[in-house]
Amino acid sequence: MTQQSALPTVQDTKRRLAVPDYINIGVFSALYFMIVALCALVSNIIFGVAGNLLLPAFAALLAGPVFMLLNARVRAFGAITTMGVVLGLFLFVSGHFATSLVTGIVFPLLGDLVARLGAYRNKAALLGGYVLFSFGCAGPILPVWLMKDAYIASLERKGKDSAYIASLFDHVNMATFAGAMLAIVIGALAGGIFGLTLMRRHFAKAGVAQ
Amino acid sequence: MDGTALCEVRDCTFAYSGEGAALRNVTLHVRAGELVMLVGPSGCGKTTVTRLINGLAPGHFTGTLTGHACTGGLEAGRAPLESYARVVGSVFQNPKTQYFHARSTDELAFPCENAGMPAPRIRERVRQVAARFGIDDLLDRAIVDLSGGQQQRLAVASAAVLEPAVMVLDEPTSNLDTASMARLHGMIAALKADGVAIVIAEHRLAWCTDLVDRYCVFGGGELLGTYTAREFEALPAARREAWGLRVLDVSEDRARIAAISHLECPAGGAPVLSTRGLEVGYRKRGMLRRGRGAVFSRRIPDVDVYGGQIVGIMGHNGAGKSTFARTLCGLQAPLAGTIELDGEPAHTSALSHAAALVMQDVHYQLFAESVRAEVMLETVQRGGGEHELAAARAQCDALLAELDLFDVADRHPMSLSGGQKQRLAIAVALMGCKRFVVLDEPTSGLDRAHMMQVGALLRALADRGVAVLVITHDDELAAHWCDRIIALD
Amino acid sequence: MTQTAVRAARAHTGSLRLDPRAKLAMLAVANVLMFLHTGPAAQSLAVVLFSLPLLFGGKAAAGARMLAVYGVLCAVGWASALGVDRLPWLHIAGATAAGVCMMMPCLTAGMAMFATTRPGDMVCAMRRMRAPDALVIPVVVVMRFFPTIRHDYRLIRQSLRLRGFTGGGMALARRPLRSLEYILVPLLMNAANVARDLTVAGLARGLGAPGEPTSMVELRMHAVDWLAVALSLAPLAVAAVTG
Repeated sequence: MTQQSALPTVQDTKRRLAVPDYINIGVFSALYFMIVALCALVSNIIFGVAGNLLLPAFAALLAGPVFMLLNARVRAFGAITTMGVVLGLFLFVSGHFATSLVTGIVFPLLGDLVARLGAYRNKAALLGGYVLFSFGCAGPILPVWLMKDAYIASLERKGKDSAYIASLFDHVNMATFAGAMLAIVIGALAGGIFGLTLMRRHFAKAGVAQ
Repeated sequence: MDGTALCEVRDCTFAYSGEGAALRNVTLHVRAGELVMLVGPSGCGKTTVTRLINGLAPGHFTGTLTGHACTGGLEAGRAPLESYARVVGSVFQNPKTQYFHARSTDELAFPCENAGMPAPRIRERVRQVAARFGIDDLLDRAIVDLSGGQQQRLAVASAAVLEPAVMVLDEPTSNLDTASMARLHGMIAALKADGVAIVIAEHRLAWCTDLVDRYCVFGGGELLGTYTAREFEALPAARREAWGLRVLDVSEDRARIAAISHLECPAGGAPVLSTRGLEVGYRKRGMLRRGRGAVFSRRIPDVDVYGGQIVGIMGHNGAGKSTFARTLCGLQAPLAGTIELDGEPAHTSALSHAAALVMQDVHYQLFAESVRAEVMLETVQRGGGEHELAAARAQCDALLAELDLFDVADRHPMSLSGGQKQRLAIAVALMGCKRFVVLDEPTSGLDRAHMMQVGALLRALADRGVAVLVITHDDELAAHWCDRIIALD
Repeated sequence: MTQTAVRAARAHTGSLRLDPRAKLAMLAVANVLMFLHTGPAAQSLAVVLFSLPLLFGGKAAAGARMLAVYGVLCAVGWASALGVDRLPWLHIAGATAAGVCMMMPCLTAGMAMFATTRPGDMVCAMRRMRAPDALVIPVVVVMRFFPTIRHDYRLIRQSLRLRGFTGGGMALARRPLRSLEYILVPLLMNAANVARDLTVAGLARGLGAPGEPTSMVELRMHAVDWLAVALSLAPLAVAAVTG
């Protein structure tokens, strides 16, 4: 039996996911993956490889409505985690570094736990959950650091002096990392608020959210 | 044939959770090899009956059921929903949203996989079902690339792959053209010959009159009467019309369509739109392949479209109706020839400016948070003085009142009924002072009364001096309301 | 029976079809290579090897493109290293080239996985690896829904254009929130509709029935698949030797 037409109550957040939920997760994950892919394309075109640094922040900025609507339609533990895992899988299979899979599991799981605290209804909890969830696509960032090593190694192989470039990167390293993380938080907050606004203005009024 | 009913609905009353009764005291039964047609206007309860038979109500669509609905030994409300898949095959209205896999062969295998069949038997079944229904050409294709008719045939085949004793089809033809309906007819005939008990809920009757054994007429959630095919055909046509049904025989409508398609346009006034040597279609995309010839192209006979006219664009699927419409609206450039707007050759941007398009899925073209905001969208976007806005608001309210939307002016567009959404899209077109309006299949899935309402709406639109172009497979709409037909065959 | 079916499938596509699990092994190796910062020998060997499933799997153009991109990147890296002492800004080009080169084994293996694996095989492989319904069903739906999103997006852009919102980068830059809203809202509304209808269609076809679902395809690791796995280990061996 499904709870399709009944309004979920707080107790329902303890219910297990069923087939209708899996389908909702699939549909919204597809949209989320499309947004991430679009952001990856645009940020890589504009910023080159360093675009990967900004990818999660961009994605967080745009995907808020997807996240909020999925939660409004499922309101049970597991939806956020599954969406993260599905994205991680697709990123991994399409040739991103395996860290995508790890972050895609860990952060959405944390986000799911936070959103559950508010029974998937409390806006602050949803927003907090979304911020954590957004770190889920930070996996593709890590290769940017590996790239530095790769470049230094390639310089050394060619007998070039790599001290200059290494020092240059050392300067940028921590600051960029912190900057990228901060950008994710800001992007996720803005995107999450945008998502909540659209929920109120459109989806709740139109009756597509439960 | 044995007399035991495969499908039995006995004294059933059903109410969806939180709503009033959708069905009251309905009793009907279907035996092996019988085809029972459930007919009646929209919202009459026939869809609910199909759901009782395939277990979706109350299994998925929760609600309270009294009475017994028994299908092949499974009782609604008692038997788990999953057990129904082996007994009942279900086909739904919209071919675009009822396939589950991206590839057609996977879709055919899907019910077998869920039933836990071993792989060699699944392949055997898929091969058999494809041969049985003659759909070998549809195997191993991306379903999104298939036409609506092909998708619907695939849906029937996939529902039949487990060889269920019962098949339930809920308005299967509402998105199909004549040729596709004929193919669907062939599939239904094959199922019937194999002794499957078939239940179809429909408005459109003409496509399978020769196969129907009994008609169950519904109205307001009640079964108004059951008629054998012969009794039903003998009823006066007006009676069937009053029930909201479409005609049993479209030959009269077809004759009228043939007559008006030879009609020359009435002289008087200058045409809004004229096409000269137009060829529509599209070229292959991709940077390297540019200019290597068209993938699809169609010559369009020269036409002049006048304000105040309703022009039907008819033709089978793939005849280029939608491409023609998109080209007229300036959404794609013609391959050759010109389109003249008010006598001047027009570029795509000028055409887009003058055109409105009411899509088949209207919800792709509604963006605002309320009905009123939707109509005011462009005005607000343009900006302007307080005076200007006030005038626009008055015009908007007048339009909403005229189109019977004033009471829902503060609701969200997506919460409206299909007909209301359509009228809203037309209100938007009128607000934008568009010179011509193209409607894509505005009557698909509508019963007779709603079809006539749409027709009257088109007439009212035309009477404002707008040129109305309507793409349709609906013979009745074309015969009753169109002034001219452009046949693209 | 199975053998003939497999042969028929190969004859049908006229090409090599590896087991998805073999391609997954390639992906894993590619990831290890990236993590270990292997030298150019192992790297180039990996790119060539991992493009083989593309070249012989009916996606020769994609395979050739991957190889070409790799070639260009190597050339850029080499050229920029020559001039970098005089022109420090060449470091940017060099670093980019070296970075993308490093990712190329992964990207090539990923491309091979994506472009040559049929959705049905992918699902079967997931089921074989004991992935739960909670993961398999969303993945099936994702693959089914991708083309729909593209189609929806096109329709939305068209209707926006008729409403006088010409779209494009300019409109997005001028009123980003509004533009985003007008695209996302119909997209999400339709997604919700599709989810509703797919649920009904899935349930009516027995989705989620108790008992293990089966697959139409029978995946088996054939000799060629094992060969592929063995070959994909070669870059690791090269990396071990060259350091």
